[in-house]
Amino acid sequence: MTNGETSDQVASRPSVKLPIAAVLLALVGLADSIYLTVHHYTATPVPCGVVFDCEMVLTSPYAEIAGIPLAAFGAVSYFVAFSLALLTAFGDRRMWKLLGIQVTLMAVFTGWLIYAQYFLIHAWCQFCLISAGTTLTLFALYIVSIFVKPRSAAGASS
Amino acid sequence: MSKPNEKKSNTPIFIIGAVLIIAVLGGIWFYGSSKATPGGITKPTPATNTPKPSQIPANAPLGAQPPNQAGSPTASVTLEEFADFQCPQCAAKHSVMNEIKSMYGTRIHFIFRENPLAIPAHDKSYDAAVAAEAAGMQGKFWDMQNLLFSNQQAWTAAPTYKQIWKDYAQKIGLDVEKWETDMAGLGAKTRVNADLDRGKALGVNSTPTLYINKVNIDFNDMTVAGLKTLIDAELQKVAPQKEAPAGAPAANTANSNK
Repeated sequence: MTNGETSDQVASRPSVKLPIAAVLLALVGLADSIYLTVHHYTATPVPCGVVFDCEMVLTSPYAEIAGIPLAAFGAVSYFVAFSLALLTAFGDRRMWKLLGIQVTLMAVFTGWLIYAQYFLIHAWCQFCLISAGTTLTLFALYIVSIFVKPRSAAGASS
Repeated sequence: MSKPNEKKSNTPIFIIGAVLIIAVLGGIWFYGSSKATPGGITKPTPATNTPKPSQIPANAPLGAQPPNQAGSPTASVTLEEFADFQCPQCAAKHSVMNEIKSMYGTRIHFIFRENPLAIPAHDKSYDAAVAAEAAGMQGKFWDMQNLLFSNQQAWTAAPTYKQIWKDYAQKIGLDVEKWETDMAGLGAKTRVNADLDRGKALGVNSTPTLYINKVNIDFNDMTVAGLKTLIDAELQKVAPQKEAPAGAPAANTANSNK
């Protein structure tokens, strides 16, 4: 039984639906972050709706750290999140815990960015909000996974 | 340890690798296809994708005449800025331009061009340009320009922005009734439109856009130090025989400033 799992391992593995949802969300966040990173370095226009002022947000001092655009950090984070979620979907439950730690940190940082857009920059950027939505949903998925056990867990542990 | 199990364990690695390659290649492709102005760490407000030429064509429309200008029209170095009153970076660079104007005085010729961008987020920028031009009709263009940029945050999202501008008009000592009449009239709008035509002909697609002696300046050089280097280099080209002396005639229009 070299490749077998203990009943405890199976029981603590999240439902496979949640990691797959996390994989898809991370891909959305990755695409969004890559778009914003490229925009940052090429100064290409971002299509912005009436209620948004993307330029105000994306050119603000809060849009970069040490000269590196936040979007680039976001792209790396989403890629890591994608990898962790995918590995979980393929059965490595430890990766889900790492993802939980990561998305918690991302959610905290997202909270700061929402605060900055509302209180400091006084403008919104929908691409930043897409990323915020993606991160917070990933965080919510992780929280849900803590409480929802896979159906197979019951059978495996009995 | 069966082969199928090994294959299964490698699958996510392959997928992760594939996504990494797609992400990197996709990013590079997108970068190449959408590159407009290279190396921009912070960006001016863009309006279109059309790349702007690096130099002003000789046959470009002249823009509003006389332009809103400062320094000396006979100076060997001319700075021509295209800006939008609702553009955050224009407001940010306003102090840079003011410092440059103070620093060089009559050794440069500074021209301000109205370039209100027709984008939804800049819904008041055309009216703001008209308000500044209407103030210019009473010789107070620079005072109004200064207030509009310095207080951009205060009026840009305010429903009562016209009242705020009216307060500015009073503050700088305008005949407010005349100013309002001029705002409604064709004179100020014609000047804004003339500047817009010039900007359009030059391919100005973002603000602020700055030309020094008709050469388009990279946004990242729009710092006091960056502009000083460029201006000094231009001054050096004509030195020592013809650097404009401190007593050179100042711009002689009603819209001139220091």
